[in-house]
Amino acid sequence: MAQYHQAAGQDAPGLDLRSLKPARGFVTVVISTLALIVVCAVFAPSAISAGGLAGSLPFAAIIAIVGLGQMLVVQQGGFDLSLAGGVSLAVVITTHMSGGDDAQLFTSIAFAFGCAVVAGVVNGLLVGVLRLNAIVATIGMNALLYGAVFAVSGGVPRITTPLMAEIAGGKTLGIPHSVLFALGIMLLVAFVLKKTVIGRRFEAIGANPAAAHAAGLKVQLYQAMAYVFAQLHYCVAGILISGITREPTAFQGDSLLLPSVAVVVLAGTSLLGGRGFPISTVIAAFFLNQLSQFALAVGVPFSAQTIIQALALVFGIGVYSLRWKQAATKRALKSKMEETDNA
Amino acid sequence: MLKEKMMTAACAAAALTMGLAASTALAETPSWCGPNEASLALLDGFGGNSWRLVTTASGAEEAAKCPSITQYEYADGQGDTQKAISDINSMAARGINAMVVFGDAGPAVLPALTNAHRAGTIVVPYRVNVGGEEGVNYAKFIGSSFFEDGVSWGNWIKEILPEGGNLLFLSGPAGNSQGIDELAGMKSVLDDKYVFINPEPFAVTNWDPSLTQQVLSAEIAKNDKIDVIVSDFGPSLVGALPVFAEFGRSIPALATSDGNSLSCFWEQNKEANPDFKLFTVATGNDNVRLAVQWAVALATGGTPPAEEIFKAPVFENSVTGEPNPVTCRPDLPGSIYLSAEMADDAQAKAVGQ
Repeated sequence: MAQYHQAAGQDAPGLDLRSLKPARGFVTVVISTLALIVVCAVFAPSAISAGGLAGSLPFAAIIAIVGLGQMLVVQQGGFDLSLAGGVSLAVVITTHMSGGDDAQLFTSIAFAFGCAVVAGVVNGLLVGVLRLNAIVATIGMNALLYGAVFAVSGGVPRITTPLMAEIAGGKTLGIPHSVLFALGIMLLVAFVLKKTVIGRRFEAIGANPAAAHAAGLKVQLYQAMAYVFAQLHYCVAGILISGITREPTAFQGDSLLLPSVAVVVLAGTSLLGGRGFPISTVIAAFFLNQLSQFALAVGVPFSAQTIIQALALVFGIGVYSLRWKQAATKRALKSKMEETDNA
Repeated sequence: MLKEKMMTAACAAAALTMGLAASTALAETPSWCGPNEASLALLDGFGGNSWRLVTTASGAEEAAKCPSITQYEYADGQGDTQKAISDINSMAARGINAMVVFGDAGPAVLPALTNAHRAGTIVVPYRVNVGGEEGVNYAKFIGSSFFEDGVSWGNWIKEILPEGGNLLFLSGPAGNSQGIDELAGMKSVLDDKYVFINPEPFAVTNWDPSLTQQVLSAEIAKNDKIDVIVSDFGPSLVGALPVFAEFGRSIPALATSDGNSLSCFWEQNKEANPDFKLFTVATGNDNVRLAVQWAVALATGGTPPAEEIFKAPVFENSVTGEPNPVTCRPDLPGSIYLSAEMADDAQAKAVGQ
């Protein structure tokens, strides 16, 4: 047995299959991030300088927040493509309804949250209760949300209020507020998912809805609520964008859809549903954002920047698939060896 | 279906046409407005930003100057190439005499334009090159000289930095021809003393303020010395320029296109940033006016204008104040363009604020 442990240690350094199995996504994403920081330090020190980080971290925070929202949906085996519309709607509501006036800001934020809840409930009903395909239902919702975006804004950007710029774009003790928001939301999601009865049921339903149903859990309700809470995340992200970017466009959510799915996958959440990894998702968001900062700092052509990001994703996802297979083979091998030994 | 597409601007323009036709027909009619009655359509490939709204309203205002234009229509392709093509086809089918087309999709709309041209419609694409040939695929192409913009920027850079320096050039999507033409214009007046520190040919921003912010902070972190930033969409920099404060550095000189929000930003930040000089060329909303003049002249039998290419004039120069000092109008929305011929409050109305 001791011998086997050593062998496993050599093949996959630092990965004892049994004790670290729960944290595989975490380990992968942390190692990748540390490696990226080292690469940045060597080849593009400006990408990890204090000023460089101050400029890029708010955008990592945004990816982290939408990633956490998407994670809840993916945990239930779904996909939420209405993310782009949800974020964009929150952006235009906070910029247009407030009209640059601080006094109107909180009313507009409350209205944005109201819209997010409505969108989430409709998504939840369509997917969770009426059992529509998640991709189809959320694409439809996305189109509806964009209709609302045009109705509110006419597609025209407007300048944010000074108070919003201070709330989202300001700093406390040198840390951008958006980062604090992302960390706060991460802690909240992690606590609810891992330490409360509701959270544990949510994960159990994601892992096996049939078994959860047999156990008497309200599967449909939990699945529907995933979409509601996801929309609330997008709403927060949109409100923050309206403060970070002084004059955000009406389509600010478009570029966030792909990264949101990417960070969920990089963090190790299975696309088939089940356990979620909020902390890993946030680290993955930092990783993904840092990767584009690295490409920018190295100064490669735009085509290469895109390719670097794509390769990193393929690599990240590839690492998971390979490890799973290796692990499975080894486990099979091990049990066989043990059987032989016993014999 | 097209009726739905008509925007309020178009209705307003039609009303204006009627009203103005009655009241000013006796006053003075521009030479490009001939005696034959005609209908005119303005077809936009994408209408959803403030620049487009001001441009559309400018086109309507220009058409309203000619009493021979009896009908004015507008259609917005909404960034959808298929819809842009079907808009062109249906306007031609409805027997519109002349159409001015912003062919955002480029050569993809050429077959539809060619069909309309063959069917006898006066087709005038403008600003975006759609390929094809004058007289074969359309009546007249009214381009915009982005090369000229580059030359204006280059000359100003030489004035403020005679000894040379580091330039950072930001443009829109990768490979867009506007940015490439502008770069060629700048290179035609700037020699090797001026170093472009961005990746060739320009730093890609997609004209998106949040991507611009990320690109700019990466470039600032990387380069200790940036003497001039050149950008072909000035207002998108407003959110990004405060990044310099993070590094404890002054915002450098900026050569770009105009916008009220940018001018106001300069006004607010010039004290704290001693190196922040601003030079703008007109952002080119009036390109549409030249195209409308050509289309109307050809359709009504008027005299076509002398120019065939829209050259954006220099607008603001914070160093010399020539031709204009930087002008901020805090009472008006940030998303209007003081360089446009259209009256400021009419623009504010056009962008719905």
